[in-house]
Amino acid sequence: MKLKFRIDTFQLYRTGIAIGIALLLGYIIIFFSKIPSDAASLWEGVRAGFDNANEAFKWFLLGPIVRWRGNEMLFNERGAIQWLNESVPIIITGLAVSIVFSAKQFNIGAEGQLFMGAVAATFVAVHFPAIPVLHPIVVILTAMVTGALWAVVPALMKAKLKASELVSSLMMNYVALYMGLFLIKTFIRDTKAGSLVSLPFAATAQLPFINERYRLHIGIVIAVVSAVVIWWILRRTTWGYQVRLIGDNINFAQYSGIATQSVVFQVQVASGAVAGMAGTLEMIGYYDRFLWLFSPGYGWDGIIIATLARNNPLFVLVAALFFSYIRVGAKIMGRNTDIAPEIVSILQAAIILLVTAEAFLSGLKQRSIEKRARKVEEALTGREVK
Amino acid sequence: MSDTLLGIFSWDFIGSVIRVTTPILLAAMGALVANLAGSPNIALEGTMLMSAFIGVIVSGFTQNLWLALFAGVLSGITMSLVLAFFALKMKTDIILAAIALNIFSTGGTIFFLSTLTGDKGSSASVNSLVFPNIDLPLIKDIPVLGEILSGHHIITYAAIVLIFVMQYVLYHTPLGLRIRAVGENPDAAESVGISVNKTRLIALIISGTLTSLGGLFLSMGYVSWFARDMTAGRGFIALAAQALGGVSAFGVALGALLFGFAEALSYSLQFLKVPYEFTQSLPFIITIAVLAFYAYIRLPQNVKRRGAQSGETRNGRLFQRVWEYFSRRAGIRKGVDS
Repeated sequence: MKLKFRIDTFQLYRTGIAIGIALLLGYIIIFFSKIPSDAASLWEGVRAGFDNANEAFKWFLLGPIVRWRGNEMLFNERGAIQWLNESVPIIITGLAVSIVFSAKQFNIGAEGQLFMGAVAATFVAVHFPAIPVLHPIVVILTAMVTGALWAVVPALMKAKLKASELVSSLMMNYVALYMGLFLIKTFIRDTKAGSLVSLPFAATAQLPFINERYRLHIGIVIAVVSAVVIWWILRRTTWGYQVRLIGDNINFAQYSGIATQSVVFQVQVASGAVAGMAGTLEMIGYYDRFLWLFSPGYGWDGIIIATLARNNPLFVLVAALFFSYIRVGAKIMGRNTDIAPEIVSILQAAIILLVTAEAFLSGLKQRSIEKRARKVEEALTGREVK
Repeated sequence: MSDTLLGIFSWDFIGSVIRVTTPILLAAMGALVANLAGSPNIALEGTMLMSAFIGVIVSGFTQNLWLALFAGVLSGITMSLVLAFFALKMKTDIILAAIALNIFSTGGTIFFLSTLTGDKGSSASVNSLVFPNIDLPLIKDIPVLGEILSGHHIITYAAIVLIFVMQYVLYHTPLGLRIRAVGENPDAAESVGISVNKTRLIALIISGTLTSLGGLFLSMGYVSWFARDMTAGRGFIALAAQALGGVSAFGVALGALLFGFAEALSYSLQFLKVPYEFTQSLPFIITIAVLAFYAYIRLPQNVKRRGAQSGETRNGRLFQRVWEYFSRRAGIRKGVDS
């Protein structure tokens, strides 16, 4: 038990070191890109590079929670709210992906599931009778059912035909994108608006605000509750145990009498249902109509976040909040300097590569395990082990 | 109506099919090599985007096409090397590593574009070059045939040649055999002295090279500039084309052609008021159906032939398997059930 704890702290260290390396990489890139080409001397150029990089990193690391009035540091309410709001969809997709990952299945179809979910939700949000309280619940349920249905196709192919869900779920993303845009364009487009957007939602469909001024909606509460519920299901119920057993060893699960085929199917569909509400929460929370022209990319974010969180729904919260923090930080940096906020994706890529690299720092882990084993042996035998 | 139909199936239409097929075809062959080696390359999208970007930037700053070609291909290979390093050496899951690389390319190209040119949308301010179109001597003077065959982009011709080269390399050379062996059964390959990692590394490098040509075509042929996210999912479409086309380079070329055809058709059919979303999503639906069908005929209860292990069905025998399935259904018994 203690040994296991040791290894988990090791994972924590490793994630921390990966984040550190990524930040350092970002600093170096900004430093080199900000050395002015017309600097008087090399020394001047290097100093300007450092100054610019420091300034940029100040906005990047502190921007979401701090604003400056002169030299006085104040709480940045708007930034913090943006941070929380932007974390909602990626918490949800992270949860969706961590469900399938727990069973060692793959789902890169979350993107299509959330897109289709949002499209279906749009119809309900516009046309469903305006009953307060009930309305947003019906909207979210519609999104979940649609997401689940969208996951059925790859899931059936996997369960009945043993076809890889990787390519089929990817294909479903594109079908969702084209079909979804077609449905919006044909049936529910706001012709008075300049761009392709849906009719505005009924006021009753909107999620209530916690902070009206900066539009902090209760999506974040829903996301946190979902994380706890999914954690409970995966860790404390029979079904969750079956799922994790399949993830550990599907053959063993099969021999011990679990209907693996049907559980794998259920896992895929459950994941689709969760993914289905990811975009919808943002849409009926922050926005008031359907306004995507492209896939928003939350499905891919979900894969990254579930991986960082090692499929633990509670860690998903932490990972998603971290990712949305550096994104909002990058945006604030982009507004205050002339550095493109897209640099944050270089950092994200570095973090995910290092965190998922099994061999990264594995020597360290090996040594710590050996050290512990030696201690245990010494305690047992009472002799010094070299 | 009939006029519009004629307009759709004109030489222009064939030309546009060939143009939109080229990048998909190159990337799909990249997907094929990597898949056969058992190291699927989902980073095609990012690789294409990166080479498209590097090609434009290098040609803009050096005004030298050869350097642009070299740098573009090199950037594709570099992406593959990073993928190989993390997947093979650092034991990262290859899908996750590829997703990371795609994210890197999407944001990285925008960041470097804005750092170098000050513009975040496109490279319009960079005076970049394009690779030329080629008129085939003699053939271009043949009346109808000349119009179809001649005057295409040089990378298009390269892609067509590469179909045959790849088919030859994969199925008629020791390297091809090693690649397929490693994908089929890495342990068995290792036991007879084939280095799995080395073979996969080579396969990924070939994959990156082919894909980078597709990227270069996009920014230095299809159009003459780089725009953010200009690959627009073509790398993923290439994966679909490969899944559709099976394991031979010819099949993959046909798969890519179907996607190219659908894309070109969707532009033309808009004149007939057919929503382009339908034509655009059709190839994806077909791919899902075909994948389901492939999987169905590979199910144990549908594989009757003695000694047919799952491995054999994957490797080069797909069309034979499809044929067997239909002949069994049709009651034709021609030496398949022996």
